[in-house]
Amino acid sequence: MKRIFRLHRIFISQHLKRLMEYKVDFTVGAIGFLLGQAVEILFIGIIFSQIPDLAGWTFDEILFIYGFSLIPKAIDHMFFDNLWMIGYSIVRKGDFDKYLTRPINSLFYVTVEKFQVDAFGELLMGIILITYSLIRISGNIMWQRALILLLLVPFAVLIYTSVKILTSAISFWTKQSGHITHMFYAVNDFAKYPVTIYNDFIKVIITYIIPFAFTAYYPASFFLRGENGWFCVLGTVLISLALFGISLIVWNRGIKAYESAGS
Amino acid sequence: MKKLFKTYSPFSRAGVQSAMAYRANFIFFLIGEIFKCFVMYFVWRAVFDSSQNQNFMGFTMEDMTVYVFISFLTGYLSFSDGAFALGEEIVDGSVSMRMIKPCSFDMCFLFQELGNKVINYSIMFVPIVLGVEIYRFVITGAVQFNIVSFVLFFVSLQLAYLINFYFNVCYGFLAFFLKNLWGTNLIKDVIVGFLSGSTIPLAFMPDALQTVLTYLPFASLSYTPVMIYMNMYSPFQIAFSMLLQAFWLAVFVLVSKMIWHFAMKHLCIQGG
Amino acid sequence: MISVQNLRKEFKKTIKEPGLKGSVKSLFKPKTEIITAVDNISFEVEKGEILGFIGPNGAGKSTVIKMLTGILTPTSGECMINGQIPYKNRKEYVKEIGVVFGQRTQLWWDLALRETYAVLKEIYEVSDKDYKERMAFLNEVLDLESFITSPVRTLSLGQRMRADIAASMLHNPKVLFLDEPTIGLDVVVKDNIRRAIQKINEEEGTTVILTTHDLSDIELLCNRIVMIDKGKKVYDGPINDLKHKYGQMRELCFELKNQDALSALDYAKTFSLSDDDLAVDSDGVEVKVRFNSQKASVQEVLKYTLNSIDVSDISVKDADIEEIIRRIYKEGV
Repeated sequence: MKRIFRLHRIFISQHLKRLMEYKVDFTVGAIGFLLGQAVEILFIGIIFSQIPDLAGWTFDEILFIYGFSLIPKAIDHMFFDNLWMIGYSIVRKGDFDKYLTRPINSLFYVTVEKFQVDAFGELLMGIILITYSLIRISGNIMWQRALILLLLVPFAVLIYTSVKILTSAISFWTKQSGHITHMFYAVNDFAKYPVTIYNDFIKVIITYIIPFAFTAYYPASFFLRGENGWFCVLGTVLISLALFGISLIVWNRGIKAYESAGS
Repeated sequence: MKKLFKTYSPFSRAGVQSAMAYRANFIFFLIGEIFKCFVMYFVWRAVFDSSQNQNFMGFTMEDMTVYVFISFLTGYLSFSDGAFALGEEIVDGSVSMRMIKPCSFDMCFLFQELGNKVINYSIMFVPIVLGVEIYRFVITGAVQFNIVSFVLFFVSLQLAYLINFYFNVCYGFLAFFLKNLWGTNLIKDVIVGFLSGSTIPLAFMPDALQTVLTYLPFASLSYTPVMIYMNMYSPFQIAFSMLLQAFWLAVFVLVSKMIWHFAMKHLCIQGG
Repeated sequence: MISVQNLRKEFKKTIKEPGLKGSVKSLFKPKTEIITAVDNISFEVEKGEILGFIGPNGAGKSTVIKMLTGILTPTSGECMINGQIPYKNRKEYVKEIGVVFGQRTQLWWDLALRETYAVLKEIYEVSDKDYKERMAFLNEVLDLESFITSPVRTLSLGQRMRADIAASMLHNPKVLFLDEPTIGLDVVVKDNIRRAIQKINEEEGTTVILTTHDLSDIELLCNRIVMIDKGKKVYDGPINDLKHKYGQMRELCFELKNQDALSALDYAKTFSLSDDDLAVDSDGVEVKVRFNSQKASVQEVLKYTLNSIDVSDISVKDADIEEIIRRIYKEGV
């Protein structure tokens, strides 16, 4: 455990140093991202100028769900971004070799190598939206529920990460799977809005198959309304652990099938 | 014309072949992008369910669905980054390789990207249009497909692509001065997406802003073809907006040619 | 120490047909074929030995090394190193080996070299005391001091290779695998690297397995070589035997001044050389003559050539590995 933190520290400090070097790049990128988010919020605002609520959810509640959905996404983005490269290039080019010649778990080694500072923009936006909506909802925040919500964040992150592990492991057989990861990852867009607006087919998919609904709507709705507590809380924990387990099995099988690249 | 195709068809073939090599990736990518359309579709459905009105700023639920998918289709097919590398080529001097070939720079890029577009069209055009038309038929109980609007849409879509292409040639030059490609690109995409009405229909904007945006080149990139497809424009509006497209196309072609000549002169002075 | 038995590795390969038609076809019906990259290879290596692994491009050298280092899982057969099976108990096993791939670095591109070693120290759980000692030794052998604070991306190829070898030795492994350690380096740097490898082998008793294209790597470092071609072992034994047996081929290249002059030469008759000992290629102007220097001395052949015809340029080359393998294939071992 101590080893993990020390490795993280070295890489993070290195990335922060680089960040200082490329301050302008970082700022421009962050502005671009925040601008994109602002347009989406504007869109929600325009919608709510015409209707009192969306499928029974108020503007503030929708903002909260939207904002909360950014948090696990941002954390996954921050710490586990290197997984994208597995499917796009690392396996195809044979660069995965080096991860296999170290006495350390290959999956951990891949992820620890990169710390993605770009994710701060997402995290910041998420926090701003949550704070703003909570101030407007005001009054009776249930502290117990808030604590539970906080504890669910790591599990929500695990769902994102597991989807990436699972789909990037496909590249061990097919050489390249970055676009497959993109396809499954894109499902997270459904998580930004209440699950109740979708039809049954999509509901089942985003609840049980590619369970992004547990990264935002279920935990957030439990926090906001306190309904379906067992399903929302226990579901997030169990589904994320199950998905993580499956992704580990596939990853480990994939390593056995890894073919490297001719050199 | 025949000669033109003879000269540049090798570029198109290369484009087709490289697109073929990546077509499986393209399909996965496309499916991921289509999810986003479905999210929007469901959001709109919920909006119409929550609203007393069957009409939302002049759009019905059916209109909104068509808008979401056709706007996605238009955005994708009129997308262009074929000439993006031009800025870099000018800096590192490798552009001189283009000068010694007996063809004009924009045509090389254009035909190469055309090859790519052929594949994109073959994969996504028919399924999406067919899907939208079936949806419209099921909802309204009558065939909504209008061949005249469709042809006009197709022409307008090609104009949108060409504007995009030349707009990006100009942007490519600019990006070379702005240095940070990833960040500036992101900002550009957000701004263009917003101003062209592909994120939020222009009809939803305040009147004054809407008027301004209609005249700016961005509406020509996506909003115009979509509105034509949806029969939202009167014949006069169609004629006007397509003329506007032609006008902006001419402007961007001219500007990009001017920058090109300026860059070439500059290159000669440097002796590169 | 190392024991390899009937090692075999198969790859599945999709066949891509050329042209537009081909790519359309492969969209619907991708064709695959099975390629045997390594075909029943067996050998043993003693502790402290330096073994050279040679063969032409695509012979399967890298695939064998990748199986020995636990990167690839063999299709069948066994390999046992220090009592461990590489791909089975990978995490434990790799603590005892060091690996360097000449064509790709394992260092972190953006990190300063010193930071890279700090990361590796954590990964291999090297104690502070051992780390200091190791760094001192590696510094002495590989001379890292001058660039240890620079980011890896700024290092020259030679420096990078030294840094890579040091990285692979930090945890004092029992076996060191070097895949093309001198590739792309100039002669002086090559020499430095070779001496470093020798010193590591002598002072630490590290068993070294290296693959290379370069015959002089083998000559200077290895007492024994294993040669493979098309996935099969074609030779296993001391380097001297091989050189003695096959290394006598020389290649004489020259350019003719007069195109018709070639007919004036008859090496076969003059030196009474059989087909095995002689090969003449010509494209009209350039002529390549390969001959057995044991049966016809270089001096004689040169003299005969220069006396018989007018040439504008002439050179003599040693046989390269490709040539030796070609001959082994013709004659068998």
